[in-house]
Amino acid sequence: MALVTNRLLCIKNSRAYLKASLYPLSNGAPPEQAHSQSYRRPGVPPENIPPWKRINLNFAKGVEGVKKHFGLLKKEMLGRFEGPEGRPLKEHILEQARVIWEFRGPESLAQWVASSDREIGGKSEAYMKMGRNNLTALLYGNLCTEVPRDGETRYSGYCSLRSKQLLGAFDRKKHHDWSNFNSLYLRIRGDGRPWMINIAAETYFSHQKDDMYNYFLFTRGGPYWQDVKIPFSKFFLSSRGRIQDSQHPLWLDKINTIGFTLGDKADGPFQLEIDFIAVCNDRAHTEEFAYEKYKRNPEV
Amino acid sequence: MNPYVLAILLSSLGIGTTLTFASSHWLLAWMGLEISTLAIIPLMAQQHHPRAVEATTKYFLTQATAAAMILFASTTNAWTTGEWNIQEMSNPTALVLITMALALKIGLAPVHYWLPEVLQGLNLTTGLILSTWQKLAPFALIYQISPMMNPTLVITLGLASTIIGGWGGLNQTQLRKILAYSSIAHLGWMMIVMQYSPNLAILNLILYIAMTTATFLTFKNVTSTKLSTLTLTWSKTPMMTTMAMMTLLSLGGLPPLTGFMPKWLILQELTKQNLPLTASIMALAALLSLFFYLRMCYAMTLTIAPNTNNNASTWRQKSSQTTMTLSITTTLALTLLPITPAIMALTT
Repeated sequence: MALVTNRLLCIKNSRAYLKASLYPLSNGAPPEQAHSQSYRRPGVPPENIPPWKRINLNFAKGVEGVKKHFGLLKKEMLGRFEGPEGRPLKEHILEQARVIWEFRGPESLAQWVASSDREIGGKSEAYMKMGRNNLTALLYGNLCTEVPRDGETRYSGYCSLRSKQLLGAFDRKKHHDWSNFNSLYLRIRGDGRPWMINIAAETYFSHQKDDMYNYFLFTRGGPYWQDVKIPFSKFFLSSRGRIQDSQHPLWLDKINTIGFTLGDKADGPFQLEIDFIAVCNDRAHTEEFAYEKYKRNPEV
Repeated sequence: MNPYVLAILLSSLGIGTTLTFASSHWLLAWMGLEISTLAIIPLMAQQHHPRAVEATTKYFLTQATAAAMILFASTTNAWTTGEWNIQEMSNPTALVLITMALALKIGLAPVHYWLPEVLQGLNLTTGLILSTWQKLAPFALIYQISPMMNPTLVITLGLASTIIGGWGGLNQTQLRKILAYSSIAHLGWMMIVMQYSPNLAILNLILYIAMTTATFLTFKNVTSTKLSTLTLTWSKTPMMTTMAMMTLLSLGGLPPLTGFMPKWLILQELTKQNLPLTASIMALAALLSLFFYLRMCYAMTLTIAPNTNNNASTWRQKSSQTTMTLSITTTLALTLLPITPAIMALTT
């Protein structure tokens, strides 16, 4: 009896394994059903859905879309008369701190994407939900450093949370302009694990779309909230995970996304609770850049 | 930058513009424009920063497009009329095309979109070169073809630039973008009078270069690139703060400062040419630009913001930057109005 069950289990597992290997990215589902924004691993053929198949004729959705986009456009055009970024200039000059993301309801989770190494075939899980009383966001899951068996991956085990790109009217790309500030201010409650903060600026024209500015976020495990203030001068440049030799400071006038990554090679569950993410202008911080910008061809 | 490389680039920049000045053949003029574009590209990208690369790319693409249009227009004219001489251009299509190409080169509305973004990505010195020196060569060509240009197009370009330069600069907080929109507005003033009195346009250009140089050098001296850091200049150099306020008001065109001279003379010329409506619209649009200059004065000089100084050690210490050019251009920007008759005698 046990042998039969074992056999059946083997067959089920092998079928699942076969399916997973046929569509390694999409957890067994064929590519058409996978989320359109999921990561496409290099080497995997892209899903060639013809454009006429992507059309979704839905009148109610269309009307809603028209209302939303024209509303945003009207707000943008009228905000021009108020001042820069739709607020009076006095506010801009006197501003010392601005809360960018505040998790006060389930709709605030829509601006974030949680992902894990499941995209490359690993076994970590990452989920995001609202915390207690709808006052915080909780990123939780399980990190598993088991390497996916595809013959080319050597390390695995990461989870990340990334904000979505800010979009204006008609889905135009908009950027965060934090040039008035010089530090990142977070209120978080972690579990002692070391996280990494990634800030991605606009890279369309520099053709370096993997450029990212990173810094570490060490969390305390306690029940107390942790206020973290990281100056932007501390962020160093890296590309596809490799720290670059020629560093330059982060320019704050075209920030696209911010993200948190956990990859500390420790198997097990993790949790990160975030209250808000703000930027502030720390008047006492005078450092312009924390690292040396190596000069190529130095004069002798 | 390596001094030899810097010497080559700066001399190429000078040679390119001089070549365009000295040429009477369209191909040589085009070549001069290309040389100056190519020479400034490494100067713009020397910061090795993605934003500088972005500015360089945008600048290169727009200038290359404009140069290609110039080449196309001049070859069309040569094909239809057989003339390569700049001052003998007569094909109307070619003239319209060349006007638009030169408008793209200098950043007139409605082809001005590249200018604020490009200036924003550069450091202040390179921005200064872009705003002042790079306008000279295309202006030389515009001056030479001004009798033949399509009047409607020129007036449209002028009006649109003044209005868009005024409106666009209203909500900016980055100083380089404000100066870009100011450049667009001033170029509009220059274009509008180009067909009636090209010498006045050149006068406007020269005075604009003096005033803009003074402004850029002031901002460079106090190393501020944002409106919020401009509020701290009072603690660094109170005298320069006062002078900078006067320079900004001169850019805005207020008497008794120099900036009033070109505006006054242009409005007078437009009235003489029986265009009172155009003159009124120009005067009203200049008010928009005046608003953002006044806003800069307000933030810098007229109020003391409760911000503390974030920079390390700039309390009234001598700056290592040489201030000779700054003092000369500030003097020019503030005190030339009383000698207007002499200047008019010299130029018209």
